[in-house]
Amino acid sequence: MRAVVKNGVGVFTPQGFLDGNSSSSFLSIDDIEATAALEVDMILVSLKRVIFFNKNGLDIFMKLFSKVRQKNHATVGFCDYDEKKYRAINVFYQDKMYFSLYKTIEIAYLFSSSFQNQNKNVLLYSEDRSQRSAMAIELHDNGHNPIIAQTSQEFKEKSSNKDAYDAIADLTYLGQMGQKIATRVTGNAIIYSISSYLDAEISNKFNIQYHNNSLNVGFRLFVFDAYKVISMNVHALNFFSKLASSAAEYNASICFVGMDFEKTTETFKDTLEDAGILFYEQMDDILKNKELLQELGASSAANTKIKRVINKQTVTELPRFIDATVVTIEMMTNSKAIKQSAEVQAITIKDKTDKIASSIGYYGDLDGMVILVFPKGIAKKACELLIGENTDDVELILDTLAELVNIVGGKIKTLLSDQNISVDITLPRTYNDVDSLLEVIQDRKGVQVELSFNDDKFLFFLTR
Amino acid sequence: MITKDKIDEYIDKIPPTPKALKDTLSLLNDGQLIKASKIAQTDLALSKYLKNLVNKPIYGFSHEVKDISQIFGILGVSGSQQTVYNYMTTLLSPAKWLLFGLNTKSFHELQARLSKRWELILKHLDIEDKNLISSITILPASIIVSEALFSQKVEDVKLLRSTKNLDYNTILTRLCGMGLFDICEQITIKWEMPKEIGELIQASSGLKPSCDEQINLLAKWMHLLLFYELSQPIFVEAGLNDFVDFQVDFVSDIYDDFAKLMEIG
Repeated sequence: MRAVVKNGVGVFTPQGFLDGNSSSSFLSIDDIEATAALEVDMILVSLKRVIFFNKNGLDIFMKLFSKVRQKNHATVGFCDYDEKKYRAINVFYQDKMYFSLYKTIEIAYLFSSSFQNQNKNVLLYSEDRSQRSAMAIELHDNGHNPIIAQTSQEFKEKSSNKDAYDAIADLTYLGQMGQKIATRVTGNAIIYSISSYLDAEISNKFNIQYHNNSLNVGFRLFVFDAYKVISMNVHALNFFSKLASSAAEYNASICFVGMDFEKTTETFKDTLEDAGILFYEQMDDILKNKELLQELGASSAANTKIKRVINKQTVTELPRFIDATVVTIEMMTNSKAIKQSAEVQAITIKDKTDKIASSIGYYGDLDGMVILVFPKGIAKKACELLIGENTDDVELILDTLAELVNIVGGKIKTLLSDQNISVDITLPRTYNDVDSLLEVIQDRKGVQVELSFNDDKFLFFLTR
Repeated sequence: MITKDKIDEYIDKIPPTPKALKDTLSLLNDGQLIKASKIAQTDLALSKYLKNLVNKPIYGFSHEVKDISQIFGILGVSGSQQTVYNYMTTLLSPAKWLLFGLNTKSFHELQARLSKRWELILKHLDIEDKNLISSITILPASIIVSEALFSQKVEDVKLLRSTKNLDYNTILTRLCGMGLFDICEQITIKWEMPKEIGELIQASSGLKPSCDEQINLLAKWMHLLLFYELSQPIFVEAGLNDFVDFQVDFVSDIYDDFAKLMEIG
């Protein structure tokens, strides 16, 4: 069975009956490892479409979870269940629950360190006091605003006012959390939360793919929230020094905030400073200082001095990039997609009104970024197969556009691999207006292609 | 990916009921088992299928049953009709499965399991209508239709499904306005099967409940039975478990009864 990966969470959705006989057919270690290889923060089994399960069935998943946790540090567990299933799992495992339980997949996303939709007001409640605190801390680290109900009565009262919260998290249990480093985006800065003892494991816990993706799409300021760091050893020191060197290639800044050197030798600080890492006491010292933000590169998401141009190899492979887009649009809309014009130029969007965009980077034998710009209504039509309902919910449309561009990226990967060109794709990124897209790509030159399906025009732009 | 024209073309290509089968079914309908078995014997492929099917362990015979008239005698009118319809469904199945990890043997196994358990369910519900007994035979056609329509698009489907958890029925319905169960209903019309079979198959999707209370109740049992079988390792490994969405809420009110009948503990 294959997992669907979104927002850093890989979800398997078995259907029907899970018992000791069938569970091993639903999930194999290969399935789990293939998902873990995608650098996910969480691997979950959805119980939404399961009508029967027993302990023998879940035990098989437990064994797989245990292996993947040891190797990949991802959070593992179950999601999408009702109270009856939640209670049953609690009875089965009682004090031995090292895995996590999320009432819905949407609640799981809130705890995923790769979830980009931060600042959610989350009402949370658990009968277990320590769980309430753990959930609040995790949510806070991920950039959300947790509101804790201390009693079931308080929860009942507060949860009756559903509109007051973006999410309500109950019947949720945090087992051993994944040790991936929480990531959030504030303006044009990316903030990573690190804690405890930093050692060689940092290179496993840190999502380097996400970091490189962020550099590729134009982020230039990376802040490590290090208030909760106790100490670091030489392996972690080397890791951060290397990270600083690679950031320098992009003219990006790396800062540490709140790092206490009480239990870490001061010479490490000197080494890190020599590597270009900056130290600040408070987060607000950076985030509330506009001049400093500008200096550190966060005034624009693409304050790069190295402008890379479209090279010959990219131009040679251009038809495959366009084909991937055309084939995907045709697959999604059942209509013929037509290439109308192609120019090498800086991106030109005459009418910026009501347009949204999505981009995906690729790297390997070739590197660059594909951008699709759609009028909102046309994006909705292009994504009809994925959305499946008539909606004006911009967040949903953007989310689906990211899925579409992800499919384009997958197709690019396949078409290039047929030519023995190996690339990996980054996570997709969306822009809810043209200005935020232009802020990222600025005046970079690329190939701009006007495409249409059913006479509905959209824009394809390939740049480096 | 898949267009309405392609679906229409597929439906057009479905062969009408062969004469020998039509005659066999007609005689079975009149309750003439011996005459029906004689006609059935003239179709060698049908004879071979009948022998293979009824000698599967789920049919529970201690000795191999070889003679067609003996098979018809054991199965009775309704069981024989069901088996002939099962055979007709296999006529649609591909020589080689590409989308699903099935083969002739495993597909026949699925047919046998569904058929026997469906009989058990109808007995439990005190239903003896032979058309309703036969209705289960069309359910696996939804798998054959998925295979026929999507097997040339395996990579596209994989890519799409790695991004979004969409079943084949949803993909088809969103793209063409016509789902797998609509196509199955069309097959029943083409094969001139009794109307209630088409209605029951349609309702068994769990998405288009019938107005007829009995059909609706049977549709729930059929939907749950399908997923009971599709949770078996052989069919999970064949990639069938999520080919259509399991509608848990649709079957929740009959689940306890089902679990008791199937001895699920």
